[in-house]
Amino acid sequence: MAANDALVLALPKGRILDEVMPLVRRAGIVPEAAFDDPDARQLSFRTNHRDVTIVRVRSFDVGTFVAFGAAHLAIAGNDVLMEFATPEIYSPLDLEVGHCRLAVAEPAEMVANDDPTRWSHLRIATKYPQITRRHFAARGVQAECIKLNGALELAPRLGLCRRIVDLVQTGRTLKENGLVEIERIADITARLAVNRAALKTRPDEIGAWIERFREAAHAA
Amino acid sequence: MPSRPKQSAPIEPAAEPGLTHHALLPAGLNDGLPPDAEHEAAIVERLIRGFAGYGYERVKPPLVEFEETLLGGAGAGMANRTFRLMDPVSRRMMGVRADMTLQIARIAATRLVNVPRPLRLSYAGDVLRVAGSQLSPERQFMQVGAELIGSAAVTADAEIIVMAAESLRALGVANLSVDLNAPSLATALIAELGFDRNQTKRLRVALDRKDAAAVAELTASRGGAQFAALMAATGSAARGRAAIAALDLPASAGALRDRLVSVVDLLGRAAPDLALTIDPIENRGFEYHTGVSFSIFSRGVRGELGRGGRYAAGEAGEPATGFTLYMDTMLRALPAASTGRRVYLPAGTPAADGQRLRAEGWSTVAALESADNRAADDHAAEARRLRCSHVWRDGAARLVEEKST
Repeated sequence: MAANDALVLALPKGRILDEVMPLVRRAGIVPEAAFDDPDARQLSFRTNHRDVTIVRVRSFDVGTFVAFGAAHLAIAGNDVLMEFATPEIYSPLDLEVGHCRLAVAEPAEMVANDDPTRWSHLRIATKYPQITRRHFAARGVQAECIKLNGALELAPRLGLCRRIVDLVQTGRTLKENGLVEIERIADITARLAVNRAALKTRPDEIGAWIERFREAAHAA
Repeated sequence: MPSRPKQSAPIEPAAEPGLTHHALLPAGLNDGLPPDAEHEAAIVERLIRGFAGYGYERVKPPLVEFEETLLGGAGAGMANRTFRLMDPVSRRMMGVRADMTLQIARIAATRLVNVPRPLRLSYAGDVLRVAGSQLSPERQFMQVGAELIGSAAVTADAEIIVMAAESLRALGVANLSVDLNAPSLATALIAELGFDRNQTKRLRVALDRKDAAAVAELTASRGGAQFAALMAATGSAARGRAAIAALDLPASAGALRDRLVSVVDLLGRAAPDLALTIDPIENRGFEYHTGVSFSIFSRGVRGELGRGGRYAAGEAGEPATGFTLYMDTMLRALPAASTGRRVYLPAGTPAADGQRLRAEGWSTVAALESADNRAADDHAAEARRLRCSHVWRDGAARLVEEKST
């Protein structure tokens, strides 16, 4: 039972982590020193709360951990949560950090002659096959997705496909690769995510943490 | 038609004849092995016996029915999870059941229509679904449940929940908790407040996520106080009950709320030590439920053990409530199977000894060939090889010692 009793908070590696950590600290969770040591190979970290453990995993894995209840709480972009689209995850709080957008882009030279109303089938490179398929299906277009894990902007240039769906923050990477954003699918921010069974079986404890994160987000 | 390379299918190894390993089963289907198969059957038996103790009689609907009867009315919610096949006899489409509750409702409304109400029925059987999910990959699993048909009384709602909780506890499910829901409450409130389709969709998404800030923003012009109170009521029932009991709600949503509060009160008296939470806005995962519904959880176990609640049974829409337990999740929540007491009977053991042992509840494993009948030492080795805990020697079942290695 002991293993089930500690609350596990999953945090995503990378860009979003730097923006999220001040908030986690404001909510009163301070990880052990190894967390900030770039050379540490540790995966799981103790905190100043005996019953709270932090795990640091890849951003998509945050969704997997919290969906399966391996993590009770997590911070993840709503891009990840939308891609999972499972009733096992609640996302009660928008933390208002890590702003960017999920968008469709295509080569600049295509834009003038492209008429989206004529589309029936598209081939799209993306990290988000579920979101992409759903987005286009909703307007009667089948999207055949080529799943890539990075360097999406290369795909059109090398002839893998002509369009991509990716996160866009400033638009600079798109521009450098001759791509133009033609459609916005969603605005993205970091969210607090909660496993459903965890909220149902430990309502007071998890509810209290949601409240603390809410205060921390508003104090920003 | 011009030939084009097929692009959309995921790349899978070609199914060349003879190359499929003969142990491979289709995704989501499993062989039940010892001791798990026995364990599951024993649990099902105990559950059904427990329900019988409450006056629920067992029925057994068929695996396959005509599509219209299986998926008509309230069954529409299961349509996209149901396997279909063509009946070569009637040339009509049939569906393999993906859920048993509506089959029970059909039986109640047709063949048992003249049996006085309320009607209490129980059932157990396998269901098949076209797709598993990442969380529960099983496509075939066993459902065990009970339905109380023909009563709209709030005491019927309570009876079903108390019985479900009691049966699970009797099996040894630890840290049980029941989450009470009213899936149609938010829907009714949204309808009465007159949101348009687009607003409704956005509000529904925010409610499903439990995103209080987004809900507040979307309901700023109307219903803000009600929705905020419903969201805040999510959590332990003692606190949530107070938050929603006094809430000013339009007629149909108010009636649902009153019902939810009455069920909380009844359960507080009937099962005071049951951990109870409420979530008046939960809506996902209830395919045909209309009134007070519930999900059963065990702390530390992924997913829910079962679900239940009010629905309209049969074409006449008879008031009914009930619940279904999912054996795949149940087995994760229960203590692991034990092999039980197996005793090895060397060749030449009198038949009467074996009979007596079996009558006492032992499983006896008899030596089949006299060649097995070696010295006393070898009986122990043979017992161990056949996974027996005991060996029959000198008129007594003796524990087989673990081989020291």
